[in-house]
Amino acid sequence: MTAGGALAAGACPSCGAPVDAGDGFCESCGTELFPPVVSTGTPGYVPECPVCSADPARAPAPSGGITADGYCESCGRKVPTGRDHAELDLGPLAGVTDRGLRHERNEDAMALASAQTPSGPVAIAVVCDGVSSSPRPDDASLAAARAAVQVLLAAARRDDDPAEASLAAVRSAHEALRRLGTPSQAPSATYVSAVIGAGAVTVCWVGDSRAYWLAESGATRLTTDDSVAEELVAQGSLTEAAAMASPQAHVITGWLGADLARPQPHLRRFEPPGPGLVLVCSDGLWNYRPEAADLAELALPAALTDPLGAAGTLLKFALDAGGMDNITVVLAPFPLVRPETLPRRTAK
Amino acid sequence: MTQSGFTVDVDQNQYLPEGGRDVSAIVTVSSSADAAGAPAATGAPASAEIIIIDCSGSMEYPHTKIAEARAATAAAVDVVRDGVWFSVIAGTNTAWPVFPPDGSMAIADASTRAAARQAVAGLRANGGTAIGQWLSLARQIFGAYPAQLRHAILLTDGKNQHETPDQLLAALRACEGVFSCDCRGVGTDWEVGELRTISTALLGTVDIVPDPSGLAADFAAMMRSAMGKQVADVALRVWTPQHATVRFVKQVAPAVDDLTARRTPSGPQAGDYPTGAWGPGESRDYHVGVEVNPAGVGQEMLAARISLVAGPPSAAEVLGQGLVRAIWTDDEALSTKINPLVAHYTGQAELADAIQEGLEARKQGNEEVATAKLGRAVALAHQSGNEDTAKLLAKVVDVVDVDTGTVRLKKKVEDVDEMALDTRSTKTVRVKKAQS
Repeated sequence: MTAGGALAAGACPSCGAPVDAGDGFCESCGTELFPPVVSTGTPGYVPECPVCSADPARAPAPSGGITADGYCESCGRKVPTGRDHAELDLGPLAGVTDRGLRHERNEDAMALASAQTPSGPVAIAVVCDGVSSSPRPDDASLAAARAAVQVLLAAARRDDDPAEASLAAVRSAHEALRRLGTPSQAPSATYVSAVIGAGAVTVCWVGDSRAYWLAESGATRLTTDDSVAEELVAQGSLTEAAAMASPQAHVITGWLGADLARPQPHLRRFEPPGPGLVLVCSDGLWNYRPEAADLAELALPAALTDPLGAAGTLLKFALDAGGMDNITVVLAPFPLVRPETLPRRTAK
Repeated sequence: MTQSGFTVDVDQNQYLPEGGRDVSAIVTVSSSADAAGAPAATGAPASAEIIIIDCSGSMEYPHTKIAEARAATAAAVDVVRDGVWFSVIAGTNTAWPVFPPDGSMAIADASTRAAARQAVAGLRANGGTAIGQWLSLARQIFGAYPAQLRHAILLTDGKNQHETPDQLLAALRACEGVFSCDCRGVGTDWEVGELRTISTALLGTVDIVPDPSGLAADFAAMMRSAMGKQVADVALRVWTPQHATVRFVKQVAPAVDDLTARRTPSGPQAGDYPTGAWGPGESRDYHVGVEVNPAGVGQEMLAARISLVAGPPSAAEVLGQGLVRAIWTDDEALSTKINPLVAHYTGQAELADAIQEGLEARKQGNEEVATAKLGRAVALAHQSGNEDTAKLLAKVVDVVDVDTGTVRLKKKVEDVDEMALDTRSTKTVRVKKAQS
């Protein structure tokens, strides 16, 4: 385990010139080497109907293909868009987002980035959950995550203070949503970011998307929800179990959107006592297992060596439990030891 | 409006409960009011019209009947637009061309219209009634002229007595898709069911003209409407997913007309249902019912794609399209919501059935069934605001309580009132669409 991490050197994906580990941009052509990745998915619908192609008893009818509006010409099912299920793997951290079983579309979004900085490697995760009662919640979550990750990545490359950067990022996300709507028609989303550095994890959030610290030696939740349920628990009027069972469990009291003049984010700096795992997720996961220790049991130890695989395991757990909501899971083993893979995005 | 001048709108509750199979939608097809004007006047006439006049002996009783029929035919001929092919046929237990007398079609202008009026003035009533023969002659004449829009008006005053029902049906089958036909019964000696069979098969209207003096205005109006038609042979093409079944396709406005049995296959998982010819500013509603294989909760399926097509099946032009969707949900508030349009037209179809079954029971002397059915019809007509039908019903039954549909059969009912109710039982009213 090397303290500074071991980011691999390689060739620029755009021009092929050799690049050094830690370069943010190609010295030859200027291409951003480790751009942030966002769960936009492949635009449009998947090219083959997953229902028909999985059915061995299917009549040997000529494959009708997929219509422009996303229906299978054979069985009529609406096929998923690229965004319904997206997996992102940067090496140091990985995540998966999924429509779940009961919602018509995926209104969650995630954005990941990593950087090599003078003070060591940094991994960045942003998860946003579009507020279903607002217009275009899927656009809202994506816009917020995309705006925030750019601010966080630029700040990390400059080695800026992660707390200041986190607050700037949430403001940027909020501005993106203000541009998307008006006070009366305000696409809205929850927000949680995690900046994982050499010695600390900086978490910033609004709403009920969460971050956890998962370790064999003690797991803990890093965020407190902006929700009616959490407020009732904090006041001591309800136990957590009773609050979660109440019909108000999912009424959130904080979000980002054009109906708010300014966001009211929470910030927390956490110094991990030893090796472990940072989990950033939407309520589609934690609804089924809110306790940190229970989530640790599901994720460890596999996540330490295979974060993408473990994210898939947690997703499957949530789907098997009912998949009532969109599910997003991002996992980053700490310390950041896994090498970045290059190239990870082919040039257009 | 789309460039084709047609729009297709779908109104439905797309939410189904877990395991739900039945998807129901109201499809509204409208043509733009300012469509491209009359069909192109270049080359061959685009339209052909034949007027078929009953000249059976009964048309002399009273003798005003044949006189009014001649006048009505002349009035209709006057409305035929210049350049349109037309002819007039007389029917008894046989059929013969009146104008042009050689069984051809004339191209309408001032002189051919005058010649037609003169030929019609010489018509005398004498002989029987074999409507199949009349239709067959019309079909032969139409067949020799490549018009896109072929339309006939058929007038009769009696039952089809001089051929068997099978002969009529065989002749009718041969005419389907060749021309459309509006049917009128004058007086009260004709059979409502018989004319309705013809008008339904030939995608036309049917109505009663109780008094011969009303014929001329009615004929002129029918011909004017026919002259307004611009797009021929329009069909609803219904695509459904594999393992799905089309339960029914019904026109529900302006009148109920079940098209389910009229399906002709038009490709994999698709079939065409004829709607006939369209003029500008028309709007009709169709009720489409599809049974699908249920998918899981949260899943969405295209239950039907409704395309409005014109032209030959091989090279049909798509004029408009609408999607009928199915989304399975465990939210009962969504899945149990009844779409107001679907409910309304389900009621209108039940209203037509209740009237026809009630009148039939009354004829058979089954007063109990007749009272129950016609009572139900009164309640339905009242609830849906179908005032015309309510008025016709009130001539056949005494209404005791309109809300519960409590009625008493009238002791004495005029034939004309009973026939008018029967003939117009399929007329529906529309509802204003709910704000969405």
